Amino acid sequence: MPSTQTAAPSTEPSALTKLIETVSASGNPVEATTIQILHNLQQQHLWTNMQLHHISAPETSPETPAVPVLISGVPPHRVYTHPDEQLYMLEKGIREDDLRPERLFVIPTAQNQSWSLRRMASAFDAMSGIEFVEDKESLPEVDVEMTKKLDQYYEKREEAIATKEWGSTRMLLAMVDKNMGGDGTVVYYVVQEGEVKPRQN
Amino acid sequence: MDFQPTLPIPISFISGRYLLFSIDAVTYLRREHNTCGVLIGTLPQIPQQNVFLGLPLELMPEEARLLVDKGVACIVDEAKAQKDGMQSLLEEDRRQYLRELESQGLQAARIVAGRKEQQKEDYFKKSLEKKGKKKPNVQSKETSNGDPTASPTGPSTANDEPASLGDFFAGDSSSSRGTSNSTPNPQHTYGVTPTTSYPPLPHPSASSDAILSRPDVPLSYPLFAHMHTRGYFLSPGLRFGCQYVAYPGDPLRFHSHFLVVSAEWDQDINLMDIIIGGRLGTGVKKGFLLGGPQKEKPEDGSEIERTESVRTFSIEWAGM
Repeated sequence: MPSTQTAAPSTEPSALTKLIETVSASGNPVEATTIQILHNLQQQHLWTNMQLHHISAPETSPETPAVPVLISGVPPHRVYTHPDEQLYMLEKGIREDDLRPERLFVIPTAQNQSWSLRRMASAFDAMSGIEFVEDKESLPEVDVEMTKKLDQYYEKREEAIATKEWGSTRMLLAMVDKNMGGDGTVVYYVVQEGEVKPRQN
Repeated sequence: MDFQPTLPIPISFISGRYLLFSIDAVTYLRREHNTCGVLIGTLPQIPQQNVFLGLPLELMPEEARLLVDKGVACIVDEAKAQKDGMQSLLEEDRRQYLRELESQGLQAARIVAGRKEQQKEDYFKKSLEKKGKKKPNVQSKETSNGDPTASPTGPSTANDEPASLGDFFAGDSSSSRGTSNSTPNPQHTYGVTPTTSYPPLPHPSASSDAILSRPDVPLSYPLFAHMHTRGYFLSPGLRFGCQYVAYPGDPLRFHSHFLVVSAEWDQDINLMDIIIGGRLGTGVKKGFLLGGPQKEKPEDGSEIERTESVRTFSIEWAGM
C-alpha cells in the first residue's frame, strides 16, 4: 500500500465507483447501471469492442424511451447456440471456436427496476433499428477444408436467420443487484423473441 | 380409432367445472384439437389414490372456451339438461334403453366366458404337452383359482393382455365365475354402467335452453390461444409454478418446451420473476416463455384481436 494513510482506507471508493463517477457526469441512475454492466462484461467476461447505443424516443410519444440505452459487444466465446444449429455443427464437425465471434446486444437493467412486456418489446424493436458493422477480422488461420465447411455454415446460417429455424432475434438481459447491501452481481439471461425451443442443457 | 363424435361435443358444466364424460370425445379432442385436459375420476372406494385417474376429464376454462370459439364444443348446464331430459323421456324409450344395456351386458359376459373357455383349453393343452400324465387334478385346481395368467405356465404371451382383462371383469362377481367356467353361454349378465347419459337423453342441440354462453376466461387466455394455434399442447402449470406448461406435441410423446407465463402489456413485471422463471426453466431443461397481448381486453369480451396481438419472449439462463 502507498502511504496515503491520511484518508481512511475503508472510505476509499472502489474502482467501479470511480469509473461511474468519471464517465457519467449526469448522475443518472440508468447510466450508472449501464456503466456498471459494461464494466462487468469487459472485466469479468472479457468482452471486447464494447459499444453503447443510445436510443432516441419515437417522436410519437413525449416520454423517454423505456430502454434508453443498449450495450453491445463481442464475447470471447459463443453465449448461445440454438439446438438445431448445434446439431448442424456437430454433423459438419465445426466447433464453436472455429466460428467468427459475433456481436451480441445486452439490455442493462437493475433489480427492482420497473419492467413490463412493453419495455421488453421496445428494447427488441430498438435493436432491430440499430445498424452496426460486423467486424470480420481476427479469424484464426484454418485449412482449406475447414474454410469450405465454414462457408457452407455461414450460408446455411443466413437461411436460418430468414426462416428463424435457428432462433430469432436474441439479446441478453442483464440484471445487476444494486439493492442496499447488494454485492453488484450481474446475472445474464438470453431472451429471444417468439417461441424458441430450449437448449438441451 | 378414428371415431368422429357428433359436433358440437357437449361439455358438461357442473358446479363450476368443465367436464367430459365420453371417452370418444376425449380421444377425439386430444387427437384433433390438441386438448388434453386432466383426468380427475378416481375410485369410489379409494378416493385418495391419484395414481390412476380416469373419466371424467376436466378442462381448463381456457380449453373449454377455445373449443367453443372453434365451434367444436358447446357448454351444457348438466343439471338442467338431465332434469329436462328425464322428464321428456317416454316410458317406452326407457324400457328399450334398459333392454339395450342388458344385451350389452350379456354380450360382454359371453365374450369373457368364451375367453375363459379358450384359456382353459390352452392351458390344458400346454400342461399336457409339458408334464405328460399326472396333470388332471392340478389343472382343475389352478383354473378354479381363477387366474391362470398369473402362473408361469399361463397362456401364450400374444393372448396375455385380453385374457387378464377378461379376468379382471370376471372377478367382479364371484357367482359368474362358476357359470362362465362351465358354459360359454352364461345365464349371468354383467351390469353395464355407461359413462354418458346421451343415448337415453337426446343429444343437446345448439337451440336447447340448457346451452350456456362461452366460458369466462382469465386474462392469460390470448396467450393460451396463441400457443394453441402454434400447435402446442398446453396443460396446467401448477407443477412448475407457471400458468401453462407447453408441449410441442402430445405430452405422451414429448417433453415440454416451455413454462408459460402471461402478462398484460403494461403490467408491471418484477425483474426477479423473470430471473426466477428463467433459472427454473433452464434447471428443468425448458424455456421460460413470457408473453401477452398488446391490446387490452375489450368490453364485449371477444378475444380474437387480443390473441392476434400476442408477442412472446423465450428466456433461458445465459450460463455466465
